[in-house]
Amino acid sequence: MEIFEIALPGIGIRYEFDTSTGRRIGVLVHRDGRRELLIYCKGDEDSCSESLDLDQSEAAALVELFGGTKITERLSDLKHDVQGLAIEWVTVPTTSPLAGRSIGDGQIRSRTSASVVAVLRNEISIPGPGPEFVFQPGDIALVTGTHDGVAAASRIIAG
Amino acid sequence: MEIDLALIELGVIMLTLAVLGRIALRIGLPTIPFFLVAGLFFGNGGVVAIEEAEPFIEVGASLGVIFLLFLLGLEYTPLELRQSMRSNARAGGIDVVLNVVPGVVCGLILGWGALGAIVLGGVTYISSSGIIAKLLTDLGRLGNRETPIVLSLLVIEDLVMAVFLPVIAIALSGGSLVGGVISGALSALLVVLVLRYSDKAGTGIAMIVGRSSNELALIMLLGLATFVAGVAERLHISYAIGAFMLGIAISGPVAERARELLLPLRDSFAALFFVYFALNVEPSELLPLLLPALALAVMSAVSKWTTGMLAARMSGLGKKAALRTAVTLIPRGEFSIVLAGLASTNAVGQDLMSLVVLYVLILAVGGSMLIKFTK
Repeated sequence: MEIFEIALPGIGIRYEFDTSTGRRIGVLVHRDGRRELLIYCKGDEDSCSESLDLDQSEAAALVELFGGTKITERLSDLKHDVQGLAIEWVTVPTTSPLAGRSIGDGQIRSRTSASVVAVLRNEISIPGPGPEFVFQPGDIALVTGTHDGVAAASRIIAG
Repeated sequence: MEIDLALIELGVIMLTLAVLGRIALRIGLPTIPFFLVAGLFFGNGGVVAIEEAEPFIEVGASLGVIFLLFLLGLEYTPLELRQSMRSNARAGGIDVVLNVVPGVVCGLILGWGALGAIVLGGVTYISSSGIIAKLLTDLGRLGNRETPIVLSLLVIEDLVMAVFLPVIAIALSGGSLVGGVISGALSALLVVLVLRYSDKAGTGIAMIVGRSSNELALIMLLGLATFVAGVAERLHISYAIGAFMLGIAISGPVAERARELLLPLRDSFAALFFVYFALNVEPSELLPLLLPALALAVMSAVSKWTTGMLAARMSGLGKKAALRTAVTLIPRGEFSIVLAGLASTNAVGQDLMSLVVLYVLILAVGGSMLIKFTK
């Protein structure tokens, strides 16, 4: 997905992209921090049919609600950016030796040099879990590091 | 000046403006034409003549121009200006050529001499960024695809004015054309310097303004704006351009704050400026100029329309968006008035001002309506 960034002199910056269903949506970030949510006409991408003013807290609330899936997208973008960086989603199976145990117990970092940077649990994202974070079966861990490190860490988590 | 009478007159004018402004808001039209009408009403040969308050209004009017241009400069960051110039340079060039012509031709036909014709060329060239930006916001069109193109063109026009105005100012003040070119070059150099180095200079101002309380920040900004404008005028670059450059040099959070602090001042003094301009126009002189003004308005509406169509085609816009681009550029307003105001002392100044009042009345109202009805 490509996000277009367009400067509006004197007003702010507009971001827009097309959804897979063929609709275009955008966000206008005003200089003073106000956000506007833009929905474009069906079949006429040049015209904005709906614009909705959001103040900073409303915009933050909306982000919160959309948050879970956003991390995934950002990370898939990141994959292309950093050479040699591996990123893997690993599901914690019920048979995993780490189910019910913490990240620290698994010594993932010291054994493999890869680290768990986020965990998705029931569609809710938990960014930057500490060593005391306890895995539950069904958690999806986001592991990043070198290719070998990530592979080794995946084996530990998957058991 | 008798202070009691002056205050009463000023009060009556302001109250009239308030009522007219309300009407304008109600029917969704820009306030500028209404303020001009108020000026005609109170001015020489108008219905009620203003006498005692005039000296104050005159000073207030120049402050109005300073604030108008200062805040216009604050709207833009140097980065945006550079980007606009790069991405829409060709459309910007077409804009100059197509829209200076109607004014120049009309000025020559009316026998106003080279200088009068060039000033009128500037009047027809410059669209009203104030009216247009406000309409785009009010109509919820900021998201549209044509909006960045329209805004970029407006930015380029304002920058072109920054070079054009000093040339005109010096030529009008009786200086030679060579002198005009020199001050124009000086101003062009200033534009380049500001665009290139303002990040650093702006940071200095930002640090001082940023640390002050609202009260002190406001006083400092006022001092800075009037001082820089005065120095620019002294150097024959025109005080309007001095204020504009200062505005561009300041960006970031401080610009945001300065805009907030100065906005009420700008609104009140700019209103005085439009009134003052029309005060000096005799309503009886308007009638014989009505036909030329209409012809000029139609010609320059068509030339702007063409500019917009070409710019839209270059950016690959669809049919509807192209039409909106074309129509949106039509309104003329504050800058046309500023330009004509500069020429007020010229031999044909009186006629020029009368013509421009009519011209702006037609295109500010007509242009705004066209924008609204073009969906």
